[in-house]
Amino acid sequence: MTTVISNGKAVTTKKTFSRETAVSIDIQADRSIIWVLLTNASDFPRWNSTVISIEGTIAQGEKIKLKAKLDPKREFKLKVKEFEADNRLVWGDAMGNSVYTLKPIGNNLTNFSMTEKIGGPLFPLFAKMIPPFDQAFEQYAKDLKNEAETISKTK
Amino acid sequence: MTIEQFTPEFETARPQLKSYILRITASIEDTEDIVQDTFIKASTKLDTFRADSTVKTWIFTIASNIAKDNLRAKKRWPETVTDICREKALANPNYFPEIAHIMQTSTQAVFEMKEHINFCLTCISKSLPLEQQICLFLKEVYDFKVSEIVEILQTTEAMVKYYLHTSRSKMVSIYEGRCALINKEGTCHQCSELNGIFNPKQNFEVEKNKIEFAKKANDPNRENLLDLRFKIMKEIDPFNSKGSDLQLHHMQHNRDIMENYSEKSNK
Repeated sequence: MTTVISNGKAVTTKKTFSRETAVSIDIQADRSIIWVLLTNASDFPRWNSTVISIEGTIAQGEKIKLKAKLDPKREFKLKVKEFEADNRLVWGDAMGNSVYTLKPIGNNLTNFSMTEKIGGPLFPLFAKMIPPFDQAFEQYAKDLKNEAETISKTK
Repeated sequence: MTIEQFTPEFETARPQLKSYILRITASIEDTEDIVQDTFIKASTKLDTFRADSTVKTWIFTIASNIAKDNLRAKKRWPETVTDICREKALANPNYFPEIAHIMQTSTQAVFEMKEHINFCLTCISKSLPLEQQICLFLKEVYDFKVSEIVEILQTTEAMVKYYLHTSRSKMVSIYEGRCALINKEGTCHQCSELNGIFNPKQNFEVEKNKIEFAKKANDPNRENLLDLRFKIMKEIDPFNSKGSDLQLHHMQHNRDIMENYSEKSNK
């Protein structure tokens, strides 16, 4: 997995049969707040400007339908493959997975990282048709940081 | 804690508890039942009270649980509740005679804009998910701390903060689109309409300027306007205000309409 600096800048690693984009950012909030945001499907469009909608329940083994602004005509049917509360969330399909991890790194400070790897034997055939994720990933991390830190300040 | 120690504590909390439950259920009858059930349940569980929370928090915890059970099967109200109920009231030949009777027989039937604002906030808040509505009222109207709400709702601090944040955002957004007192494009003029009916000699602009959030309608921080609505709500005891009989009649009317409305939309 690509290692990235926690500066909110996305990094993409291209290989012949796969492409991996990752972003990492430090958020001044308890990871449980970030977890709540990452797992409330219907609320995503309110705070995350890269998401049009997520239908379904984000829980272990559940299937969800995701529409993203990057490719608004497509609906991604994904399965929640890992669901470790306050820690790690993985969803994906046959083409690849999105991995979200939360690590406490200090008092009320959490490192959030998001990685998406897509690939397979046929990847070279359609690689050029898939838009770059970098800008959307950076926006996602920025929105999450902004929302979680706002909630965290609630007295 | 003995029953002799508990009873006066409960009586001290009762007015706030009653108004809280009314604002959650929008039903006088359910409020009376839930408050009574809370007393009975608490009385039989006095040995389980732990002194690490206040008696008031403990009472509100029991009452909130009973209210949640009471409301779980009921649909939440739509954001347009006041529009729907207005149409139903206008179409109901008994509605205004009932109002006239209340005004002739009650000393608590004065129409005041701020009481309508309290009523409106109760109705609109019922469009929020129940947990969000409860969090919002406990924090903004009844001055509970986040840590106490965590205890009352038996959830996490993260969830309470999340509920408070999302519910406030949603209420700001609803009022922004609807309330003509803060937005010239707002679709709801019910305050001015009712004030014109009940207080025809009053100048609406003068009355409007007595409402702080209407006076500050141009404040770019829209959250401040919501806080000013809560300030009005905090200052009103819905069972003992100058217009309580009038407003409780409105409330019961809306609740009855919404019960049928929900049933129809469930079919």
